[in-house]
Amino acid sequence: MNSIDFVLNGKEVKFTGNPAARLLDVLRDDFRLTGVKCGCKEGECGACSVIIDGLLVNSCMVAMGSINGSTITTIEGYCETARYAVLDKAFASVSAVQCGYCIPGMVLAAECVLAKTPHPTEDEIRVGISGNLCRCTGYNAIVNAISIAAKEGNGLW
Amino acid sequence: MVEYYQPTSLQEALKIRSENKVTPYAGGTDLMIEADENLCYLFLNKVCEMRGIYEDAEYIRIGAACTYEKILQSELVPQILKDAVSQIAAPAIRNLGTMGGNIGNGSAKADSALVCFALDAKLQLSSVSGSRLVDIDKFYLGRKKLDMAENELITEILIPKADFGRYSYFKVGARNALAISRVSFAGVLSLKDGRISNIACAFGAVADTVLRFKDLEKMFLGKTLAEASAIKQDFVSAYSQSIVPIRGRVSMEYRKAVCMNLLNEFLSQSDI
Repeated sequence: MNSIDFVLNGKEVKFTGNPAARLLDVLRDDFRLTGVKCGCKEGECGACSVIIDGLLVNSCMVAMGSINGSTITTIEGYCETARYAVLDKAFASVSAVQCGYCIPGMVLAAECVLAKTPHPTEDEIRVGISGNLCRCTGYNAIVNAISIAAKEGNGLW
Repeated sequence: MVEYYQPTSLQEALKIRSENKVTPYAGGTDLMIEADENLCYLFLNKVCEMRGIYEDAEYIRIGAACTYEKILQSELVPQILKDAVSQIAAPAIRNLGTMGGNIGNGSAKADSALVCFALDAKLQLSSVSGSRLVDIDKFYLGRKKLDMAENELITEILIPKADFGRYSYFKVGARNALAISRVSFAGVLSLKDGRISNIACAFGAVADTVLRFKDLEKMFLGKTLAEASAIKQDFVSAYSQSIVPIRGRVSMEYRKAVCMNLLNEFLSQSDI
């Protein structure tokens, strides 16, 4: 196969570089989507989370060739949505952001929790973000923010 | 552009595998840790025959490229395997990772492989010239050494349809999510007419391959729980002599002690 075609934040795009390259690197370096953060490159931190075909994945764990035909949403695409606006407000309302490095991944993890379970329990939220490490807030504020978003955004998910 | 392969049928995948030097890529979550950009991948994530979960008269058949998340959602999959899979990594990894990849990577720390040992699972290996079934314990020949030819793919994991009775699954890691097993244990025990008809004790992340000692398990076969309890100390000390851990991220002594604790916990949970 001689090109990798996929939908990125709503636009059809084509990639003709190395199919073995990491999606994370391509998103940051070729598409300049630097909201996708690089934390560990071994699937341990979740900072590089993106949504592929509706599922949360670590973009460092994905080789470009595997995404041919897929639909990818990064934080840059997601922040255009009404759901993002609700999460944005909820995170701000309880100061769930400190340094902010984990937040793009954390917000996409929150989106996937709410898309699966519009009114999640605290445990469901904690499992949903268990692959996203935050070294500042201690998680309680983030869990709280996601609960608030579920209430405030009632009907959006 | 460098060549890559993304077949949609098994036949096509096997043909590519036989004609090219390719690295099979199922979920990618083990392979991409190293992320060697010089590899030519055979992407298996669109091969329909490898993505489903089915049952036949004898087995639950899990496609080698079926993701952990799908395994968790399946009604066919036995609970002990779901218990293990639900503790693997975190949702974003479980959305990609597969049993075929976990097993094919050859690590003795593979949590889904451990359960396969305890359940006497088999692997279906296929190539352009046909298919064969291999017992999981025969598949692992040594550290990262597998009974798999250059032209073969793991296509299915076959779990016998049996009543596994009581089971215990323990994973000891440094944290809850995203942990690599330091020691893991899977045990099953079933009774027929009050006597032990099947027992399996498998230890993961301890040596070059998963450890299971079928000869020692025989000590309990055919016994009642009371009879087994009476020889429990002999059983445990036989394991203590047989388990020889290797040093890894944690010491041999630690691994040995945890193995024995987990075995004892399994026996207690099984009323022995």
